[in-house]
Amino acid sequence: MSDLEAYRAKAAIWLESMVPTFGKAARKSLSEADDIALARRYQAVKFEAGYAGINWPVEYGGQGLGHLEKVTFDSEEMKHGFPNAYFGISLGMPVPILMQFGEDKIFVKERVLKALRGEEIWCQLFSEPAGGSDLAGLRTKAEPDGNGWKINGQKVWTSWAQYSDYGVIVVRTDPNVPKHKGLTYFWVDMKAEGVTVRPIKLAGGDSHVNEVFFDDVKVSDDHRMSPVGGGFAVAMATLMIERYVATDSGGFGPPLDLFVELAKSTLIQGRPAIEDGRIRQQIARNHAMRAGLNAITARAMAMMQAGMTPGPEGSLNKLISVRSRQKLSELAIDLQGSDGFAFDDHASQKDNWTSSWINAPTGRIAGGADEMLLNTIAEKVLGLPQDHRPDKGVPFNQIPA
Amino acid sequence: MSILYDEGQQAIATESRRILEARMSKDALLPLLETTGQYHSGFWDTAKEQGWTALALPEEYGGLALGLVELGLIAHQAGRTVSGAPFLISSFGAAKAIELYGSNRQKARWLPGLASGEIIGTVAFAEGPDALPTRSQLTFTDDRIDGTMTGVTGGLAADIAIVLANGSGVAVLAVAELGNVQSTAVQSFDNSRCYANLTFANAPAELLASGTPARDAALHILALQAVITAHEQTGGAEAMMEAARDYALTRRAFGQVIGAFQSVKHRIAELYGFVELARANCIHAASRDGAADFITAAAAARLSATEAYDTAARDAIQIHGGIGVTWEAGLHLHMRRARSLAIEQGNSLFWEDVLVDHLLGEIA
Repeated sequence: MSDLEAYRAKAAIWLESMVPTFGKAARKSLSEADDIALARRYQAVKFEAGYAGINWPVEYGGQGLGHLEKVTFDSEEMKHGFPNAYFGISLGMPVPILMQFGEDKIFVKERVLKALRGEEIWCQLFSEPAGGSDLAGLRTKAEPDGNGWKINGQKVWTSWAQYSDYGVIVVRTDPNVPKHKGLTYFWVDMKAEGVTVRPIKLAGGDSHVNEVFFDDVKVSDDHRMSPVGGGFAVAMATLMIERYVATDSGGFGPPLDLFVELAKSTLIQGRPAIEDGRIRQQIARNHAMRAGLNAITARAMAMMQAGMTPGPEGSLNKLISVRSRQKLSELAIDLQGSDGFAFDDHASQKDNWTSSWINAPTGRIAGGADEMLLNTIAEKVLGLPQDHRPDKGVPFNQIPA
Repeated sequence: MSILYDEGQQAIATESRRILEARMSKDALLPLLETTGQYHSGFWDTAKEQGWTALALPEEYGGLALGLVELGLIAHQAGRTVSGAPFLISSFGAAKAIELYGSNRQKARWLPGLASGEIIGTVAFAEGPDALPTRSQLTFTDDRIDGTMTGVTGGLAADIAIVLANGSGVAVLAVAELGNVQSTAVQSFDNSRCYANLTFANAPAELLASGTPARDAALHILALQAVITAHEQTGGAEAMMEAARDYALTRRAFGQVIGAFQSVKHRIAELYGFVELARANCIHAASRDGAADFITAAAAARLSATEAYDTAARDAIQIHGGIGVTWEAGLHLHMRRARSLAIEQGNSLFWEDVLVDHLLGEIA
C-alpha cells in the first residue's frame, strides 16, 4: 500500500467513526442554527484529529502535508454528507489568501487558527450586481478617508456572509484608469458599522448566498492586502488557489446507482424501465461520461504523485458533470410520472433527484458559468482569441454603463 | 498497470506519429474512395516494417510482447492521419483469438504469420445490427464452415477469419481459412476498409472454443478490438478538433478571425471535452486488460470515442464552411471513417446494452 493509500484508509476509518455524530442522519431535520452549531463542533473535532488545514503550513496550525493528501481526504469526506459547507469558501480561498498576503503575521495566525477550528468564518466579497463573470467591472468603491479608507457599494452572491466574521473584498480605488488597473484588495470586519447582510432566497428555497451593502464602512490602511491599484492580481491569485480540488463526476448530484435502482423499480407500460432502451441509453452514456471524468482525475492524481503538473483537462469536470446531472435529474423525475411531483425542500441534492434538479442551475453558474468555462478552454487551452472587448484600455469612468 | 505513459510508450507515440505524418496524405487516400478492394499499401507496409503487427503478440511466436497501451498509441496516431488499411485491428483481433483460445499447434501455425503481417486476419461475428448473434447463420460441421457473412471488415484481403458458428446447436468459435471462400466487395462509403460479403462453402476451419465459453470469448475479442478502435477514433477526433481550431485561427470574416466568435470557439471547446473524455476512457480501458471490469471500461471507451469522432468530424466540417464540403479538402475522409469505425466491432447500441448489462451485474 502506498503512503497515500494508507493515508486514505486511515482517513476513511476516522470519517466513518464521525458518522453517528455528524453524518446525514444526525443532521436530518435540524434547524440551520442547530446545523451550523453542529458544523462548528465538527470542524473543531476535525482540527483536533489533524484533518483541518491539511496542506497548510505547520506554523499556522496546518498539517504541512501536500495537495494530494488534501484532495484524498476531501474525496473521502464527500461521501458522508458532513456539515462542512459553511467553511468551504472560508477555508478554500479567503483564509489561504490572508496567509499569503496578510502583513500582520500575529493577527493572521490568530485568524487562521480560529477559522481552522470553525470559530470564525470568512467570506469572499467579489461579485456585484454589475459584475459577475466580468469581475473587473465592479463598482463598489473605496475612497481615502483620513489615514484609511471608506467603502461604499454593494456585493452580491456572497456565500455564508450571514455567518461570516470577516471577508476579503475587491473594490475600485481609481475610476480614471482602465478597469483592471483601478482595483484594490482589502479584508473587512463583517460586524463593522455600515455593513448590512441580506440573504437571497434561491430557486430551490435555501438562502446560503447574500447581498452585502457597504455604507461609509471605514477600514484602516492596514486592512489593505494589495498595492493600491494592484487588487486584480490578488483577486486572480485567490481564484487560482483551489485549482486542483476534489471533484465529483456526478456534478454533486446523486450517484448513477441511485438512477439504476429507480429504473429497476419503475414500470414503463408494465415492463421494468431498466429494460427500456431509452433509459438504458442514458445510463450507458452517463456512465461513460463519469468514467471519463474519473479517469481524468485519476490521471491528474497520478501525475501529482509523480511530481508532474496535471494537464488542463481537469477543468472539464464542472462543465460536463453538472449539466449531465441536470439532464439525468430531469429524466429521473420524468420516470416517476405523477409520483414525481413530490418535493421536500430539505432533501439533499446528493440523494434526491428533485433537489438535484432544482439546484442544478446554481451549479452551472456559481464558480464560473458554463460559458466562461468554455471561453477559458478555448482561449487558454486551444489558443483561440479573446472575445471582442469594447471596454479594453478605456478608463473605467468612460465605459458606457 | 499505470495510467501514465512511460518513456518507451511516449517514444512509440512520437515515432509512429512522425512516420505516419511523413508517409500518409489525403492525396493518396482520396482515390481509394473511388475504387473497391484497394487499401493504402504504404500504410500496411509501414505497419509491418515498424513491427506494429507484432506489437501485442507473444515473443515465442514472433511478437514483441507489448499490450493494449502500446498498440493503442499506434492506433491513435493512425486515426489522426486516417489509417490506410483496417488490418492493424482486424489481424490483432484474429491473433488474440488464437493466442487466448487456440492450441499450441494452432498458435504455431498462425501467429508468426500474423505477427509479421504476411497473413492478414479478420473477425467476422456481426450479422447486420447484431454484433454478436445468439445463433449464427454459419454452420460448423466436421471442421467445415458453410454460410454467408456480410460486411466483413478487411474481408477482401484477409487470409483467415475468426467466426462464431452454429455447431449442431452450440455456439462455436473457430478459425476459418478463406482460401476458397467466395468474397464479394461491398461498394462502400469508405472503400479502403475492404468490406466484403463472404460465402463459405465447405471451408476448412478449426475449433477454438464451444458453448458458453465461445460466446464469452467472442465478446472478449470484440472488447480488445474495441479498445484499440477507440484509440483510433480518438486520434481522428483530435485531428478534427485541431483542424477546426487551426482554420478558425486563420479564416477571417467581419473583420476578425472566426475563432473569436463564441458560436465558433465554444463549439471547438466542446470538442475538446469530447476528445479528452474519450482519451481518458481509452487510457483507462487499456490499463484494465485482464481486470474484472475490462468489459465495462472497453464499452465506456468505445461509446465516448464514437461520440467524439462523429461530433468532431461533423463540427470541423461545419466550421470550415464551404471549403469543408469539397472533395479536395478531404475532411470527408474523417467523416466517412468516423462512421465506418462506429460500426466495426459493434455499434453504439450494442455497447450500450453490453455496458448496462455488466453494470447491473456489478451492482447486483
